[in-house]
Amino acid sequence: MLDSLKRFAQESWLLVAASLVCGLLLAATNAALGPRIEMNKTLKLTSLAANLLPEATSFTPLPEPIEVQGLDGRRESAVVFKATADDRLVGWAFKVTGSGFADKIELVTAVDASFQKLAGYDVVTSSETPGFGDQIKDNYYRSQFSGAPADKFTLVGGGAANPQEIDSTIVAISGATISSTAVVQAMNHYLPQFKEQLQQKGLIGHGSNP
Amino acid sequence: MAATPDGQSVYAEAVATGLWREIPVFRMLLGTCPTLAVTAAIKPALTMGLCVIFVLVCSNIMVSLMRKGLRPHVRILLFTLTIAAFVTIADLFLRAYQPAMSEALGPYVPLIIVNCIIIWRAEARASTSGVLVSIVDALAMGAGFTIALCVLATIREILGTGRLFEIQVLPKAFPAWAAMGMPVGAFLTFGFVLGFINYVSRKRS
Amino acid sequence: MDLVYVLLTGFISVVLINNLVFTKFLGICPYIGVSGRIDMAFGMGLAVTFVMTLSGTLTWMIDHWLLMPLNLEVARYVAFIMVIAAAVQLVEMYLKKFFPPLYESFGIFLPLITTNCAILGLCLFLVVWGIGTLIEAVVLSFGGGIGFTIAICIMAGIRENMQMVDVPESLRGAPITLITAGLLALAFMGFTGII
Repeated sequence: MLDSLKRFAQESWLLVAASLVCGLLLAATNAALGPRIEMNKTLKLTSLAANLLPEATSFTPLPEPIEVQGLDGRRESAVVFKATADDRLVGWAFKVTGSGFADKIELVTAVDASFQKLAGYDVVTSSETPGFGDQIKDNYYRSQFSGAPADKFTLVGGGAANPQEIDSTIVAISGATISSTAVVQAMNHYLPQFKEQLQQKGLIGHGSNP
Repeated sequence: MAATPDGQSVYAEAVATGLWREIPVFRMLLGTCPTLAVTAAIKPALTMGLCVIFVLVCSNIMVSLMRKGLRPHVRILLFTLTIAAFVTIADLFLRAYQPAMSEALGPYVPLIIVNCIIIWRAEARASTSGVLVSIVDALAMGAGFTIALCVLATIREILGTGRLFEIQVLPKAFPAWAAMGMPVGAFLTFGFVLGFINYVSRKRS
Repeated sequence: MDLVYVLLTGFISVVLINNLVFTKFLGICPYIGVSGRIDMAFGMGLAVTFVMTLSGTLTWMIDHWLLMPLNLEVARYVAFIMVIAAAVQLVEMYLKKFFPPLYESFGIFLPLITTNCAILGLCLFLVVWGIGTLIEAVVLSFGGGIGFTIAICIMAGIRENMQMVDVPESLRGAPITLITAGLLALAFMGFTGII
């Protein structure tokens, strides 16, 4: 018994020692870099949102995340950022997800203070086809959402409406119907939910009066 | 100074092996998965190369320090544990200081753990040699790997977007081959570059 | 039948649309090395499917039931690769004891699978995709293996035919295999957008 124990110890002492060393290294690095990593995650969203709401000087996340239902029916918890300029409410920013041609599309969306108009969106993550669906990152498609009413959007084909007119009708990118639909679908699915939740929390008013 | 049988210094031999004779990816066909995945543009390729150099050096140092105590049964486990730990550390550093690159590279950074190059060097060099030689070997192999990645990435980025490092290299009139950024381009570029290297090798011998 | 729909679309997605070889560049080393003959390719594919399903499930369970609740995500990669190595060892021992002829026919493939980046890659993608349920993890892991098997068998079929064709000398071996893989990747791109 003692013999086999001794053999076991001989074979594996190095493994145990190495595991301890590696474990310590990992724990130390994680402790040192952890906070910075967390900060980077929020910074990514807020820096994109800052471009959409240029007046805002600070973005503070709401203390409690909002429960929304994803496109697949699953419950997700989402963080909403309050955009302020010296204590004056400028707008709200949050992330919406759509299912695109290649993979999921994540957009950071900003709305004005009363959740009446969209300030616009920017793409956080997407793997759409370069030159086609990738154009959801370009101004042609994005500008149609800037200043549009934060209500249900309808997607139409090119030529059926004027893309310069900012309203609830969105002209799809030619050759990229699925990617265009993904953005509209994401907006239509998430905007009402965020609006309702913010109204429930009493953070924005009801009705269409500013 | 230690010397190989044909009189070359061990260090020079290590450098020559890593950078030309047994250059990873091109001659040894190891580490092909990240090669295809991150060479769509030169910045991810460089980042991946640097990560691999970091992991290679650290893992070679640690394996070399442990080489006296290695038992046959647990050696592979030991190598894997060491490599996994250092890859995690590299990943943490990347996520802290280069979040955009970390996201672009995604799961391919942890996949360095199964990158055969690192285990290969641990087995072939670090487990039998002193710390200094192991470091030189790691640097040479890592450099070889990075060079190979950059060659592919340069081709793919220039043909795929006309730009390199955000600088417009090809005239705007040149139609960008979007396929270069996609899996097709990855496989084709790699295949043709390998074929070219074979051709050059045959011509020389 | 929402769950069945999600599982079915997930399965098709990982087999055809997000095929591990043609879109995620996983498992290329064995892919180039073993796709010379259809019977070897099929054997490799089966072995990979088996190990992948097992590893995907185990790593998902460890990730969700151990690492996340205890905030030990930093140990994720170490834990995953250890689990995979252990799983391969177990599969080897089990096959050797109970199915010796099967063990013989797998031959050297089995131990080689540990460093197959497809296995670790799939386990990591399960994390990246945010897979929330065990059954989904099992189905996607299985699908990943099936996708790999399909990819490698198609390649083996093509390569068997290529032996009778005049390939330029510089391109023989790995280069022409990669070029073929590229064309296959192009073909598989046609599957995007079907779900």
